[in-house]
Amino acid sequence: MIKALERFIIEVLLWVTTPDDINALWAQSPRNTAILIGALIATSGALLGTFLLLRRMALVTDAISHSVLLGIVVTFLLITLVLDREFDYSSPLLLIGSALAGVGTVFLTEWLFQSGLIKQDAALGLAFPFLFAIGVILISRYADNVHLDIDAVYVGEIGLASSNTNSHCLTNCEPITITPDDPRAITVRRCMNCAAENLYPRDPRAEFEEFCGNCGTYTPSEAVRAEAQGIPIYDDNEERPTFVYWPKSITIMGLIMLLNLSFVLLFYKELQLTAFDAALASTLGFRPNLLLYVLLFLVSITAVGAFDAVGAVLVVAFFIIPPAAAYLLTDRLYQMLLIAPIIGVFATSTGIDLARGQFLGVFSVNRLLEALDDIVGLGGYTEWNVSISASMVMMMSFCFIVAWIASPRYGLLATLIRRWYQHRQFAEQLLLGHLYNHQHMESMADECSINTLPMHLNWSQHQVERIIRNLRSRHWIEIRGEQVMLTDSGEQHLLLFRQQLMQK
Amino acid sequence: MQETAALHVEDLTVAYNSRPVLWDVDLTIPEGVLAAIIGPNGAGKSTLIKAVLGLIPRAAGTVSFYGKPYQKARELIGYVPQRGSVDWDFPTTVLDVVMMGCYGKLGWIKRPGQRERKMALEALEHVGIADLAHRQISQLSGGQQQRTFLARALVQDAQIYFMDEPFAAVDAVTERAIIALLRELRSRNKTVIVVHHDLQTVTEYFDYIALLNVEIIASGPTTEVFTADNLRLTYGGRVSFMEDRQVVLAGGD
Repeated sequence: MIKALERFIIEVLLWVTTPDDINALWAQSPRNTAILIGALIATSGALLGTFLLLRRMALVTDAISHSVLLGIVVTFLLITLVLDREFDYSSPLLLIGSALAGVGTVFLTEWLFQSGLIKQDAALGLAFPFLFAIGVILISRYADNVHLDIDAVYVGEIGLASSNTNSHCLTNCEPITITPDDPRAITVRRCMNCAAENLYPRDPRAEFEEFCGNCGTYTPSEAVRAEAQGIPIYDDNEERPTFVYWPKSITIMGLIMLLNLSFVLLFYKELQLTAFDAALASTLGFRPNLLLYVLLFLVSITAVGAFDAVGAVLVVAFFIIPPAAAYLLTDRLYQMLLIAPIIGVFATSTGIDLARGQFLGVFSVNRLLEALDDIVGLGGYTEWNVSISASMVMMMSFCFIVAWIASPRYGLLATLIRRWYQHRQFAEQLLLGHLYNHQHMESMADECSINTLPMHLNWSQHQVERIIRNLRSRHWIEIRGEQVMLTDSGEQHLLLFRQQLMQK
Repeated sequence: MQETAALHVEDLTVAYNSRPVLWDVDLTIPEGVLAAIIGPNGAGKSTLIKAVLGLIPRAAGTVSFYGKPYQKARELIGYVPQRGSVDWDFPTTVLDVVMMGCYGKLGWIKRPGQRERKMALEALEHVGIADLAHRQISQLSGGQQQRTFLARALVQDAQIYFMDEPFAAVDAVTERAIIALLRELRSRNKTVIVVHHDLQTVTEYFDYIALLNVEIIASGPTTEVFTADNLRLTYGGRVSFMEDRQVVLAGGD
């Protein structure tokens, strides 16, 4: 079914492009494939992660992505040992089996919590390492030979995604049969007694037999593979089959992304309501728990789909960091759902260059290493080539830090500026208030002269001068001799400010 | 009585780990009253509302609204949870929160449109914060938060309202506004059931009360039930404090 879908997509693409171009775009370009898959994972993750973040369930993704490992191993063992079928990483069976394991973790957590003996976070911390441990044991015991190695569990192999393909034959796809009397048949001689009598083929005692070296029936992909190994199948002028190689992960992650997107679009209202006020949702007849478990099921499916590419640990970042950054940049839910995927896609597409040492095209780690090599000597080790998925997460964290510092409303800078501004404004009001309280009083000359103000307010001379300068430039005060006086507009301003203060 | 009662609760028991929080509660509240549920901290007031609305499991007992079970009476019920029960940093606007009130009538998947928007704006007008419609909810004061919740309840257009401590930590102006609104609801023959803390205002605000301390101590019209003896039974040892109050109350009557 998945192959049929891929075939359909390819047929559509072939209207505008050629098979060679499609192959160049994906199967022969690990970079493009990694960017596309990274972007799909980031989008899928950010859409669901937004709601997890708002429900304060960010760490549930961690639990789910870990226990998904157990699901993968168990499904693997079921497929290979019980059903006796070949294991395929992109099998839908695997997706569903593992996703159930993910949801199972949450059930187990809830059940532990319901027992009333431990708190929710502890229940979570108990449940998933237990399931993860079972997964690790099962891998090392039964599944060592598949590419389920423990390293891949942590960070995945997004750079290799392009090489795991389905092949789609487009032309000359008939199986080829070569019989001994076929003109394409090649006769080969084989020594019959060399092995038994320990002879060299040149030995005169060697006896030979002739047989057809390439006879048999070949599917198109077998034929192409045989030719690649040096066994001639086709005549020189005969047309070879054309193939499009389609990375499996693209289809799987694309489907998962569409599934998540339609879920969020269809149930936006319900997701928003249950995340904000589950009690109201429940009395209105929506099923908050049902919706939550569907959400967690999709999180599990996404984690399994992404497992191959980014592993069980780093995938958490794809769910949480972009929404966390978006949360700082907006205070509308639908904008969060737009911004978070954009941040995710930006981070994945720039992260792949970071893995090779290029930071946003402005900074090269390689050049830094070369310079360091000149100075301290790194033994010629100047090639920065690190995990792609980890670099993608680095870029996400970078985006988050930028948002954290520079977000217009909630950022660190904005907060500091606002606080500094409030501080200054407060000092100004205080001075105005002091003048107001003492004007037309006998003590005015003493209280309100430029020279005595620092003493009365217990401020530094410098501070007083600065504030007086600001207030004068707004014509709220005037200075006669040494005397600081409130102007009419200054008095009005002060009264207005006090009024606002009372209203709050 | 049972047919027309807005709320009828029979033998309701709720337990956490087999420790009863509510014990065999029988309660009937007639239509068109402003009713208060009163009792000390930990008496199970909020729990009663939540159990009645099916938000927490019941160990035993039946509940009916206008003679109908909960599932069939959903449209008749409006719920205003405690202000602190939601995250006010949630990225949404006042108008969006108020519109949530009509989600029940919309049902699954269908989106709110112009009609719902208009209803929500009218409700905001009604509670006096129409100018805050597009404000992010984290910028609201406590009183404004409570008004937002009330506007949402208005949009729900229910027959029977359950409100969990609507007067908790709001300023005097907001309290006036809320009670005016509740009275207006009553005048439209709606039933309002409120979890209430402040004994001082009971006789002024409510015409029907239920005194609760795990069990129902007494329930009925305020004039009959709000007595020193009943309060002493409800609040247990804090008698002297209660007697003080009673003097004030007697004077007020």
